[in-house]
Amino acid sequence: MARLPGSGRVALAVVVGLWAIAASTPLFRERAREIRLAERLLPPSAAHPFGTDDLGRDLLARIVAATPISLTIGIVSAAVSLIVGFTVGATAGWFGGAVDLVLSRTIEVVLCFPLLFLLLAIAAFLPPSPWTIIAAIGLTTWPGDARYARGEILRMRELGYAHAARTMGATTPRILIRHLLPNALPPLIVSAAFGVGWSILAEASLSFLGVGLPGPATSWGGILAAAPSHILEAWWIALFPGVALFLTVSAYNLLAEGLRTALSEGGGRV
Amino acid sequence: MIRYVTRRLLLAVPTLFGITVVVFLLVHLAPGSPGLAGEGSLRRPTGHAAEEMRRLYGLDRPLPERFAKWMSRVARFDLGESFVDHRPVSERIREALPNTLLLNGTALVLALLIAIPLGVIAGGSPEGTFDRASAAALFALYSMPTFWAALLLQTLLAVQLRWLPLYGVASDSPPAGAAGLLDRLAHLALPVTCLTYGTLAFIARLVRSGVAEARAGDYVLAARARGASRRQALWRHAFRNALVPLLTLAGLMLPALLSGSVIVERIFVWPGLGQLYLDSILSRDYPVILALSLLTAAVTLLATLASDIAAAIADPRVRDGTVS
Amino acid sequence: MRSARCAAVGILVCLACACRQRETPLAAQRTSSTAAAALAPSPSVAETSVEGGVLRRRLVAEPTTLNAVMQSSAAEAEVLQYVQRNLLDFDGQMRLVPGLAERWEASANGLEYTLTLRADAVWEDGRPITARDAAFTIGRIADPKVPSNVYKPLFEEMESVQAVDDRTLRVRFKTPYAFRAMAFVIPVLPEKRFAGQNFLRARENRAPVASGPYRVASWTTQQSIVLERNPRYPGKPGHYDRIVFRILPDDTTAYRLLTAGDLDEDQLSPSIKDQAIRDAAFQGCCRIVEFYNLDYNYVALNNRSPLFSDARVRRALTMLLDRASIVRGLYKGSARIVSGPWAPDSPAYDPGLPALPFDPPAAAKLLDEAGWRDHNGNGTRDKDGREFEFDLLVSQGSEVGRQIDEMLASELAKLGVTANVRTLEWGSFVEKVDSGDFAAASLAWSAVDPNPDPYFYWHSSQCAPSGLNDGCYRNPEADRLMEDARGEADSGRRNAIYHRLHRIFRDDAPALFVVNAAQKYAFRRDVRGVQASPLSFFFWPGPLDWGATASSTGVP
Repeated sequence: MARLPGSGRVALAVVVGLWAIAASTPLFRERAREIRLAERLLPPSAAHPFGTDDLGRDLLARIVAATPISLTIGIVSAAVSLIVGFTVGATAGWFGGAVDLVLSRTIEVVLCFPLLFLLLAIAAFLPPSPWTIIAAIGLTTWPGDARYARGEILRMRELGYAHAARTMGATTPRILIRHLLPNALPPLIVSAAFGVGWSILAEASLSFLGVGLPGPATSWGGILAAAPSHILEAWWIALFPGVALFLTVSAYNLLAEGLRTALSEGGGRV
Repeated sequence: MIRYVTRRLLLAVPTLFGITVVVFLLVHLAPGSPGLAGEGSLRRPTGHAAEEMRRLYGLDRPLPERFAKWMSRVARFDLGESFVDHRPVSERIREALPNTLLLNGTALVLALLIAIPLGVIAGGSPEGTFDRASAAALFALYSMPTFWAALLLQTLLAVQLRWLPLYGVASDSPPAGAAGLLDRLAHLALPVTCLTYGTLAFIARLVRSGVAEARAGDYVLAARARGASRRQALWRHAFRNALVPLLTLAGLMLPALLSGSVIVERIFVWPGLGQLYLDSILSRDYPVILALSLLTAAVTLLATLASDIAAAIADPRVRDGTVS
Repeated sequence: MRSARCAAVGILVCLACACRQRETPLAAQRTSSTAAAALAPSPSVAETSVEGGVLRRRLVAEPTTLNAVMQSSAAEAEVLQYVQRNLLDFDGQMRLVPGLAERWEASANGLEYTLTLRADAVWEDGRPITARDAAFTIGRIADPKVPSNVYKPLFEEMESVQAVDDRTLRVRFKTPYAFRAMAFVIPVLPEKRFAGQNFLRARENRAPVASGPYRVASWTTQQSIVLERNPRYPGKPGHYDRIVFRILPDDTTAYRLLTAGDLDEDQLSPSIKDQAIRDAAFQGCCRIVEFYNLDYNYVALNNRSPLFSDARVRRALTMLLDRASIVRGLYKGSARIVSGPWAPDSPAYDPGLPALPFDPPAAAKLLDEAGWRDHNGNGTRDKDGREFEFDLLVSQGSEVGRQIDEMLASELAKLGVTANVRTLEWGSFVEKVDSGDFAAASLAWSAVDPNPDPYFYWHSSQCAPSGLNDGCYRNPEADRLMEDARGEADSGRRNAIYHRLHRIFRDDAPALFVVNAAQKYAFRRDVRGVQASPLSFFFWPGPLDWGATASSTGVP
């Protein structure tokens, strides 16, 4: 495996740092919950480095407390998307014929589906919980991975990998796992890394629109949801949670880019 | 070629049907009574009155029957009436459509106009200063959440500096003539910016990698050997290579744009289809939700189809299904 | 959105009560702690009234219809107020006064009402307004196929309606009811214009036929509704030539337009008001009008849940919400604590009854007494194996509701009670509350008339989902008092009954009653004649008295 380029390494460090912050959340939870009406909407100061929100809660504490939520949902959603996508795509590519036809149509249905509607429908109509959001995001992004997996499987079939393995007596699952998967894995990892960034953004958008996680333990998007109504007087509510989002998504995307470069140098097609 | 197109068209039919069924199910299985007149509603019907309302909207019939009824209406291009104000759905869509087209159309055109030259120049000298600088900038754009960019732009340009208006399509009593046009442009500026930058980053990077890849190819070298200028070589030959993936993904950009449009329209109170969609979901306006979902799906399908065909024309491998 | 404050409203009927006189709150304006909450006094330059001109008002949402029978939101009511007259009206003191009907009388047994329409009442097309139009309108209101949510309950007990002649309307009801005459504060629609059309899809729903001082000149969707004078109106004309309603869902934009001079009137949210007070541009152009109406916030509790079936628990919860701090912190003093299902300006409210204090130790004791202690040592109280944990619902868009919920949750957490604040999208929220499928939910009561009858909302026979008693509060004594009051014709005795009921509501705490917040409106300085009432501006003549003035410097 080739080395990660410089930017990729920086990104990795940032990601690790974020997880460290997430782990330190219990220390901030108390402060994040403390409501002090007398200290509403204070600008950044020594006591409150990021200012306070509309209930007087320290914004920095709230942002830190939201870190594990945003990160976890992002990663799990991307994982769900990857697993579902790969399974469907690989199956379609491997079996071909009628199976491929039906599955490809399914992929197309979800792909052409009004995305936001599905997200809103799932998020708004089902009882709000992190799992609902994860399901919503995961189930709307898997077609991308599925199409990719299908393409890869088809390509490998064409290149004769499977054929060769089969002549040596390997069974289907064995072929899939032992031979195709390792080749398909690198691009999948890259796809997963990009997926995390996308999922974090999607969850933030949902929370911002008001159909995401229920408060008060909310994600960065949820904190940003209060920003528009105070746009005239409290610019910090709009700025800081957004910076956190931006940094995180950038880090993951940069990491994904770096992985792509590293893995493509290693000889696989990414 | 004809076979490929016909095949794709035929395959599109079950997809469209599938989408309609799923949307129909989702909408009707949702909690909440239909036609809620939003949060300003002064009263909700209960008990006896609620039962009557359900009967009025035809909601007491079994689901398959309602679906069949709706499908038959759609086949006659009758999209029904909104539950909220009883106006024909087509009328409400007609009102909102121009605004969305204006917004998304401008964004798409702008994105292409900026991104393609950007990508070509960057790809022309990969790892050069321009390439690196633009890569970093594009990367940042790509990672920025739309609603956050909107909030920041609003805060800076509309609230602090007051250069641009905060919301809406135009001022309430818009001046006529050139001043009116300027007013509309000013209102268009922020929403379009928010919609454009993401697409721009995506297209630019795509074009860049396509061009960079092709640049090293033999045919570009050959073109140069035959005396073509560097610019000609880049645009006529290398760019063509980037065109295929661009076309393939062009179809997918449309639904992405429409989705992003919902958020932007919401934030900037832009009375387009996205806003209509969101409002109709929140007020359980079934006929509008169904009509818009169908519309979006159909448009997306057409766009994917068109881009697939275009890619098939350019690259025979696509036709044979060996490259997706 | 702003209008999310209304979540449950009852239109209940009420006899023309010689209600206890409440001061027109313009005179009784509460000052906030900051000095700049400008009241109505005249500025230092001399002023003259100016006839004519344009009044530019704000609509928070777009009306879905201008059919007065099918109206369902405040935006619709604001526009229709200018265009359609009601049979009877409420005045600024919440008394019934003549409208299109010049007099009304009830039969001795209280079952039959006869109204006589004015002889000079005409529609904008010149046709006279007759009792047949009124009968037609009532018929449509009662029609099960017509979604007339606001007025239908008024006629649920109607037996028959009849136009005896062109000017006489007779309506019979099945039972007598103390507040029955309030049912006639309804608009009238022209029967002939709706003939032959499907009522739900009629042209007149977008272009109503005027019976009031103004008519609809144009309606540009998503933009504005413009009213102009109705020359056929026989009564006193309004001062302005035109009224322009701008559709502005966003508070910040509206505020901007106001200070820029493009809007004359705006309703302010608490946070915008804070801005306005400190904004020099605002101080230069506009003034704030603050008054109390009959709205209040409360947290509904599901009395059927084992968590809240004990009144001691509910009382404890009330004592854990620091309402005084909410008044100070969130409203800067412009709010009053409520201790029962009425606002302090309602005749049913006993002003001498103190609210339960904010007292966490006493609350803890009550919870202990009710059996809720931390038996298993996990930090949360429990009883009979059940943890004291519940979902506290709030609808998306209700900022005040969310703030109240989060404060409550925070205090509860300190006493070992876990409240999870859940924001639900509006439709889902309403569904849950209506069906009684909730533990606690943040709601706002928005009154459209002065009827204090709590029967439909708090009587045990009205439990959700078939009725409107969302929390299913059951108290036989309270039930009896509510029934007695409904039948009591004498207003003095009736209010005495309500005062006893108020004490029960306070001590039994069927819900957490929070605050009655002051309404805050901003007006440009040249708008005069602004009077408010406990019904906000929805009374006669209300906004029709507003007029423009010109300062002596000649700037209108």
